[in-house]
Amino acid sequence: MVPEEAVREPKRKAYKIKDYKSATRPIWCPGCGDFGVLSALYSAMSTLNLPPEDVALISGIGCSSRLPGYVATYGFNSVHGRILPIATGVKMANPEITVVGTGGDGDGFSIGMGHVPHAVRRNVDMTYIVMDNEIYGLTKGQLSPTAHVGDVTKTSIYGSVERPVEPVKFMLSIGASFVAQVNAGNPKHMADVIVEGIQHKGFAFINAMSPCRTWRGIEQKKFINQHAHYLEDGEHDPSDLAAALALAGQEDPISMGVFYKEERPTYDQLYAEVRQKAQSKKVPEIQEIMQRYIP
Amino acid sequence: MECNDIVVAMAGSGGDGVVSAGEILASAGASEGIHAFMLKSFGPQIRGGESSCRVRLCEQQIQSHGDRVQVLGVFNWKDFARFKGEMAFAEPLVIVQDSADKTPEDEIPIDDGIEKIIYSVPIGDLAKEKAGTSQAKNIVMLGVLSALFELPSNGIQNAIKKRFRKKSQEVIDSNLRAFQAAVEYVRDEMEKIDDVRFSYQPSEAKVLMEGNEALAYGALYAGCRFFAGYPITPASELLEWMGRELPRYDGTMLQAEDELAAISMIIGASFAGEKAMTSTSGPGLSLMSEQIGLASIAELPLVIVDVQRTGPSTGIPTKTEQSDLQQALYGTHGDANRVVIAPADVEDCFDVGVEAFYIAEKYQVPVIVLSDQYLGQHKETFEQTSLFGNGNGFMKTMNRVTPSDEELKDYKRFRITETGVSPMTYPGIEGGTYQAAGIEHGEDGLPTSDVDVHARMTEKRFRKNKYIAEELNFVRFYGPEDAEIGVIGWGSTKGAIKEAVLQLNAEGHAVSAAIPQIILPFPQAKMEQYLEPLKKVIVAELSYTGQFYKYLKGFLRFGDRDLIPYARSGGSPFDVEEIYNAVKQELE
Repeated sequence: MVPEEAVREPKRKAYKIKDYKSATRPIWCPGCGDFGVLSALYSAMSTLNLPPEDVALISGIGCSSRLPGYVATYGFNSVHGRILPIATGVKMANPEITVVGTGGDGDGFSIGMGHVPHAVRRNVDMTYIVMDNEIYGLTKGQLSPTAHVGDVTKTSIYGSVERPVEPVKFMLSIGASFVAQVNAGNPKHMADVIVEGIQHKGFAFINAMSPCRTWRGIEQKKFINQHAHYLEDGEHDPSDLAAALALAGQEDPISMGVFYKEERPTYDQLYAEVRQKAQSKKVPEIQEIMQRYIP
Repeated sequence: MECNDIVVAMAGSGGDGVVSAGEILASAGASEGIHAFMLKSFGPQIRGGESSCRVRLCEQQIQSHGDRVQVLGVFNWKDFARFKGEMAFAEPLVIVQDSADKTPEDEIPIDDGIEKIIYSVPIGDLAKEKAGTSQAKNIVMLGVLSALFELPSNGIQNAIKKRFRKKSQEVIDSNLRAFQAAVEYVRDEMEKIDDVRFSYQPSEAKVLMEGNEALAYGALYAGCRFFAGYPITPASELLEWMGRELPRYDGTMLQAEDELAAISMIIGASFAGEKAMTSTSGPGLSLMSEQIGLASIAELPLVIVDVQRTGPSTGIPTKTEQSDLQQALYGTHGDANRVVIAPADVEDCFDVGVEAFYIAEKYQVPVIVLSDQYLGQHKETFEQTSLFGNGNGFMKTMNRVTPSDEELKDYKRFRITETGVSPMTYPGIEGGTYQAAGIEHGEDGLPTSDVDVHARMTEKRFRKNKYIAEELNFVRFYGPEDAEIGVIGWGSTKGAIKEAVLQLNAEGHAVSAAIPQIILPFPQAKMEQYLEPLKKVIVAELSYTGQFYKYLKGFLRFGDRDLIPYARSGGSPFDVEEIYNAVKQELE
């Protein structure tokens, strides 16, 4: 349940799911897990009663990065791999905006991987939802960084020999202040986790296992549904990093829910302190700066 | 020989304080109203190693570093040897050397053919004796130079006080003692055998700044409040300046993890409504290329500064070149609109900082500012009234134009308008939500693969250039309008070109020059008009492949005029003499 005080006073009304829907229809294939993520996101924003104009969805390239186009908030469908620095720019320019990054496993953990630890260590106050389908869908079936050893794809026809990135374990190990996992096949549970992620002050990572019917077949979805285990209240202590890592390392069942959560100052809060320090001595008018250069 | 224009160079090892001595001398000049121009040069070492500086002082406004060194102060000939390729000398060359260096005169690493007058002075010993530390060697050198050549001695002493004001009184006193001791040594122990004497009338103090500082300052004045960058030589001063100043004015400076992130951050900030900027050098601009295309198609205002260095690849990071021009004009895939603008001197760096934001915000385009190592890292003087006083500079600032309530009723972020500029919202504005995108989109911002829409939107994005060119087309012209021989250059080579042309004019030769400040969109009408009386056109640039020459050929119909490229690889800036000779050759 969402604490009452977390729900924003509506600017003009209580926002319903339809207020977040854009006029565009998704191009995703039938059965795509991303539909579930989209509907969970609508629902989470409505639960939090976020005015659409105060939300910015930042995406990269890939099937899942089409998502902002289907939402009536501000959106930015950018280039491949740069969700996090663009989102950082938006948040630092205007901390009042709720910033959500939405992308895929290739965007985040292959081409964009270099930015991940930096957004994490800065603790940018944003939510980053990675729709992980373990395949390159938009380019039609090549090997993804989260695919498993032995996986046969169009670019690993003899079976992949590369160990996968394990998103939850990875994000825990680099110090993300909020780490969760959800199943795209369970939008209701997912919506609750997204609400918690958005409410979290700091960098919230949500790994959405989002099956690809077209390139992974029905088996992927079945596998996730069969092995998903939804963490119950009291079952796992999300302040315990060692326990969270152990949970993330478990192959079966696959835990869904909040693995880890820690409150610490966000990048914009810390930068506000930088400004305070910089302004502790009298700040000259901009035109007076010239005086410093007159010897 | 009395002169009001003198070029002094110093060379030594890192510990000799050569560069601070140069800075003190330039400051001293500026404080007494003398124009100063200072270059510094370092070996590749991070700390220590060799360093040299060159300070030109002149009663009149100067345009360049001064080709020929008249006075050379040397702490150590071994260190000097590294820089000899960078210096040309006047004759006789007057040398002040530390007598601790026992290099015999015939082994000094300067051409035997050059007539030299050498003073050997116990620089290090005097410093130890009078200041108690050999660290004051540079001050002793300044004292000797000042006494021998009548350099602004009061100014030097004031600059010493200023320079050490954060240290103890003892440090200030011992340095002043070292200076005095040197002056007395010259008076009591030395006989002047050269005739170089600097003479000047003191006047109102001048502003003394580096190009990188002036550009950052202009951007701050224009309202830039968001900056992200990644350290790179020779652009890091911009990042550091912004890191100090922006938080004082409620702005933000982020040091990004790489240039991909730096430009992405400012794209995010610009999307969120801030005036945003990054700075880099060639290698960083290469990494940013993809996002220049993104800013272009998403029509986001952006200012990207490239302080060019010698390339390709790592090249020589500490040396100047103009070889990023084509990268700035065309770098990125697809037909991507952008504006390219080049400051010509330090004062102009401030103006261009203001102007770049004006264009970016008004026309919603990425603007690339092409500075270079020479311009970014040399110090130059200008009048106090130049920046804010006389209204000659570019002072117009522009805030983002958001849609009216009426326009918000049926809001289309990328509405096709007469000028190509559409009303722009940003997160937080109710009723203005839209999707910015790198993917082709219609007027409503939604993705499309419709080829007709692509054609219309491409045309819309480029339509802005016509209006930009009508409004902003500043070209600097020098020399008589009816000259038949002309020089076209761009950016920081303005100084050498202008000085060469003025010198030729003074000698009675009809020669002109044109230096466009805005390079893309090209100031077509003005340049065509300039071309009219010309029979010979020299295109001067620091690019081996003649990037500017090739670019001009795309715009200007040269007809049967002789078109002469003067294109060489960079490393060292143009000397005046070089341009002078290139023109002279065509005059004969």
